[in-house]
Amino acid sequence: MQVTLQTIIGGISLGAVYALVALGFSLVYRTMGLVNFAHGNVVTVGAYLASTFYLSTKLPFALAMIVAIAVTGVIGLVIERVLRPLENKDFDLMLIGTIGFGIVLDALIIMIWGATGRAVPSPVAGAPIELFGLRIRTYDLVVLAIAALATVLLVLFLSRTKRGAAMQAVAMDHEAATAVGINVGRSNAIAFMVGAGLAALAGGLVGPLLYVSPTLGGALGIKGFAAAILGGFGSIPGAVVGGLAIGVLDSFAAGHFQGYSELVTFLVFTAIIMIRPTGVFGERTVNRA
Amino acid sequence: MKARTTMKAETLSVEGLTVHYGGVCAVRDVSFEVPAGEAVGVIGANGAGKTSTLKAVMGLVPRQAGALRFGDLDLSKVAARDMVRHGVGYVPEGRHVFAGLSVEKNLLLGAYAKPWKAATRQTLGEMYELFPVLGEMRGRLAGALSGGQQQMLAIGRALMSRPRLLLLDEPSMGLSPKLISEILVVLQRLRAEGLSMLLVEQNAKLTFEATSTCLVVENGIVAMTGPVSKLRHDPRVRRIYLGL
Repeated sequence: MQVTLQTIIGGISLGAVYALVALGFSLVYRTMGLVNFAHGNVVTVGAYLASTFYLSTKLPFALAMIVAIAVTGVIGLVIERVLRPLENKDFDLMLIGTIGFGIVLDALIIMIWGATGRAVPSPVAGAPIELFGLRIRTYDLVVLAIAALATVLLVLFLSRTKRGAAMQAVAMDHEAATAVGINVGRSNAIAFMVGAGLAALAGGLVGPLLYVSPTLGGALGIKGFAAAILGGFGSIPGAVVGGLAIGVLDSFAAGHFQGYSELVTFLVFTAIIMIRPTGVFGERTVNRA
Repeated sequence: MKARTTMKAETLSVEGLTVHYGGVCAVRDVSFEVPAGEAVGVIGANGAGKTSTLKAVMGLVPRQAGALRFGDLDLSKVAARDMVRHGVGYVPEGRHVFAGLSVEKNLLLGAYAKPWKAATRQTLGEMYELFPVLGEMRGRLAGALSGGQQQMLAIGRALMSRPRLLLLDEPSMGLSPKLISEILVVLQRLRAEGLSMLLVEQNAKLTFEATSTCLVVENGIVAMTGPVSKLRHDPRVRRIYLGL
């Protein structure tokens, strides 16, 4: 029992990061109907930016994160602007465009920061907290709290604000959204910006947990993508549940199957998706022909 | 909705409207007017160019026109998303409600171009009065509504912006005769309130009840035009469009 609980706790902080990555995928999908395949690469950019501001510029960790989120958000805007002409031509082209942009980002990352990675020390000092015989790292709690806060803010934005409703309307019906006066291009730009901001948040937070390297985003991207699908692609609560589930699954698999842990994680994921293809919170939010 | 009668008189005038899709000409040299407070119908068979005409006025498809004006405004310079800000509401063919959002959100988004204030709430109340069923369903997802309810929602959404001209594309599509007559009652009420309307329909009977002037479109050109009182008795119109 004790071991099981400790394993779950071990998986939750990475799970929260997967959830943040999944939120970015789901937000762009929910508001544009687009799967942004560059998302994982944007996570890497965010991780490098945050660690650079933290380690080289010596900014406090929180401030380094905020600056990294802002800069990465601008990169999201640039991606949308470059791909925008493809949207009206053929939506599939835009999807392929995101794959291309991901490759470009990868190349830029290696040019700027090199092919080797860097370790980021934990910004939260202090020994793990002992609770009922379980050990919990303080930084894990920080990650969990920030992920929870980001989720709540995102849900409030989509459900309570006019802009949030309008952004979801765009994915549901492009033409009707235009007819009521919504600027579709601007809505898409905001989706990409917020999505990139979430990617940077995930990348920055994961720095002290994992090694920051050019392949970081690839690994996180695929886990976050799986998390989004597991929860129900486009669903915000689904992204969180999916992320935590993949994190815990990872933790168990790592404990029991060592080298084969990734294989086991994705086998279980595949089995769940075969039983429930729409994911846990599957709903139809997007109507793209 | 009383304010509408005191609105400035604006006429929609369309001259020489042409729409091409690739090499195919869908609408050729179509001209008509919708005088302020009037309801004008466009009838024709499937593929005659009715929807293209309406979308071209709205700016949703590339178009050429000798003149395209609404009052003093040159519509050829107005982007589709800004039409609503100039008083033009649009009810798309096949309803196109925002399926994953609630009925109330759908209506509120109809007033997207305006700040959401007390006045918006009041307009919302008027919509629930005009369409009581929408009031009962306000918390439901729009995608869960029946076809008739979705049509009412689409009309209500367009009215939320308090338009001075309403463009309607096939509001009768896929509806039962009973629901069509309900839609007709709504259209007649809006007309009585002085709202200008351009109604595109395959259902000539409904169109003749709801409008005063009609265009008959065939193969992208205007085959006939005139007051409903006259078209109603035209032998060709009776045979082809009324099935008499």
